[in-house]
Amino acid sequence: MQNPYIPYPVVVDKIITEVDTKDIKTFRFKFVNPEDEQKYAYIPGQFGELSIYGKGESPIGIASSPTQKGYVEFTVQKAGVVTSALHEMEEGEVMGLRGPLGNSWPLEFLEGKNIVIVGGGFAFTTLRSLINYMIYGDNRKRFGNVTVIYGARNPGLLLYKDELIEWQKRDDLNINVTVDKGDATWKGREGFVPAVCKDVAPSKENAVAVICGPPVMIRFTLPVFFDLGFSKENIITSLEMRMKCGIGKCGRCNVGSKYVCKDGPVFTLAELDKLTPEY
Amino acid sequence: MEKRLIKKDALAGIAKKMAGDFLVWAPVKKEDNVLFEPLGSEEPFFSYLNSKNAPKNVFFPHTETMMKFTRTQKGMVFSSEVNASGGAVLFGVRPCDAHSFALLDKLFDQEKYKDAYYIAKRQNTTVIAIACVKPPYASCFCTSVDGEPVGQEGSDILLTDIGGDYLAEFITPKGEKLVKYFGDAKADAAAEAKKNEIAAIARDAIKSKIPAHEVKPILDVNFDNPFWNTIHGKCLACGTCTYMCPTCHCFDISDEVKGADGVRIRSWDSCMFPMFTKETSGHNPRSSQKERWRQRAMHKFKYYVDNFNAIACVGCGRCVMSCPVNIDIRKIVEDISKL
Repeated sequence: MQNPYIPYPVVVDKIITEVDTKDIKTFRFKFVNPEDEQKYAYIPGQFGELSIYGKGESPIGIASSPTQKGYVEFTVQKAGVVTSALHEMEEGEVMGLRGPLGNSWPLEFLEGKNIVIVGGGFAFTTLRSLINYMIYGDNRKRFGNVTVIYGARNPGLLLYKDELIEWQKRDDLNINVTVDKGDATWKGREGFVPAVCKDVAPSKENAVAVICGPPVMIRFTLPVFFDLGFSKENIITSLEMRMKCGIGKCGRCNVGSKYVCKDGPVFTLAELDKLTPEY
Repeated sequence: MEKRLIKKDALAGIAKKMAGDFLVWAPVKKEDNVLFEPLGSEEPFFSYLNSKNAPKNVFFPHTETMMKFTRTQKGMVFSSEVNASGGAVLFGVRPCDAHSFALLDKLFDQEKYKDAYYIAKRQNTTVIAIACVKPPYASCFCTSVDGEPVGQEGSDILLTDIGGDYLAEFITPKGEKLVKYFGDAKADAAAEAKKNEIAAIARDAIKSKIPAHEVKPILDVNFDNPFWNTIHGKCLACGTCTYMCPTCHCFDISDEVKGADGVRIRSWDSCMFPMFTKETSGHNPRSSQKERWRQRAMHKFKYYVDNFNAIACVGCGRCVMSCPVNIDIRKIVEDISKL
């Protein structure tokens, strides 16, 4: 029996400081035992428990795409005990990784549809996984139009800046990057995510919106999509909760009869309407 | 099913004989309390009402090492810890507590995610229950939550006092493996008839009843009912109810380090504690004791039913007897049934 509580040993292969404030970094891990990579077969939207011995574990969404072989990436904000210890780690150090955990973005449901991806701030990580998955090789043919609306407070807080530039060069992606307020060098769009969504006005026809961001962004973005005619079945988001076990046993991410770790973190708005509002 | 008769005064000898061969957890008198402990030289105490604490700690200890690790130059090396060497016997639990194991199995031994620590101990341990021919306490309400005072659920062997003898029923193959410890006296039909008679009397003797099966559809539609404002006022958030409960299973995972060596442990936690759900950001989805009490009631009488088609309560009454401010789950269920 595979013991789901025991992490795979991983080595910190590369650390990328994503933002000017230096408190969000992307950690690229390689498995110490190469055969573990097979066991860690994941789908965009899933998460892992980053495990630092002596500090504990932290549940973080997987930021890389399964199409990126040989490593797995997590983009982590420095916040609590574990993530602060993680930010102190250096390349070459060994730590642990559990998972993959949770459900995922519903790829089969998304296939053949036009996909609208809306991300705000630091909540863009598993959306990035989904984008990279959809645009990889022949995968792109399995999805219709892909529209991305991504915003941060200022240009220095945008994640994955190099990838954003690469994506903008493609003619099979509609990329809209916005900042709340630009700076002297910013030549792109300014404005809040909900306003940009209204401006871009993606069609509801055969479309699914995948939305992740801070609560305030979600609150003002959802009405825009309702006005555009999107149904609650066709709006998908991902929840965050305090977690420990990650496999539906320890009880703390219990919302109604669901466990966010095991039954989520991905839910449609229609599913969330049926849940108790304890998240 | 194999059935034997054993003399009542032979029980302690059987437990001690088993203890010579493997680990035996048995009720032991500790000052005014009875607790399940690994049997050593002391006498097991079988003429008890029920143990102070639920025996769930045999499978799900208060604190349990999940893995060990050692700091090295480049991070850490670690090893998993699943201790289940040799067999064990849990001797003399009450049927309500045996029932709780069947309920915990549903959570810890699911198809997809199996809890290696719980399952290893559960598989290696034979559960011997002693039926309640008289209800131990006025607050016992097992018959309202799918239990029986002379019930087999969750047991491998059931012992029922039928007068001068115990009738021993070997319910599972795991139980049958221990039949050699119970002598050669085969039980006849008369012993079985006597047991059934006693079981019916015992069932009728449980006077405390709650409408546990009626409240599920009411809970389905009453998450926002003002009723939830009325329970928690006197709750101290001490967590005693959850610690005493045979079916409560929430836990924490934490690391402890001494020098270069450390352990990752899990320990009981409680939905009654404010920190249980508090996030790093400061946000707490269950921000007051109202939400926490609603969670406890909902989890036992609705969520567990939704997920496993079983109520997460065995009617032992420990929470009723132990609550320092006399919050009574029976009254809460009664009140919910009237919403």
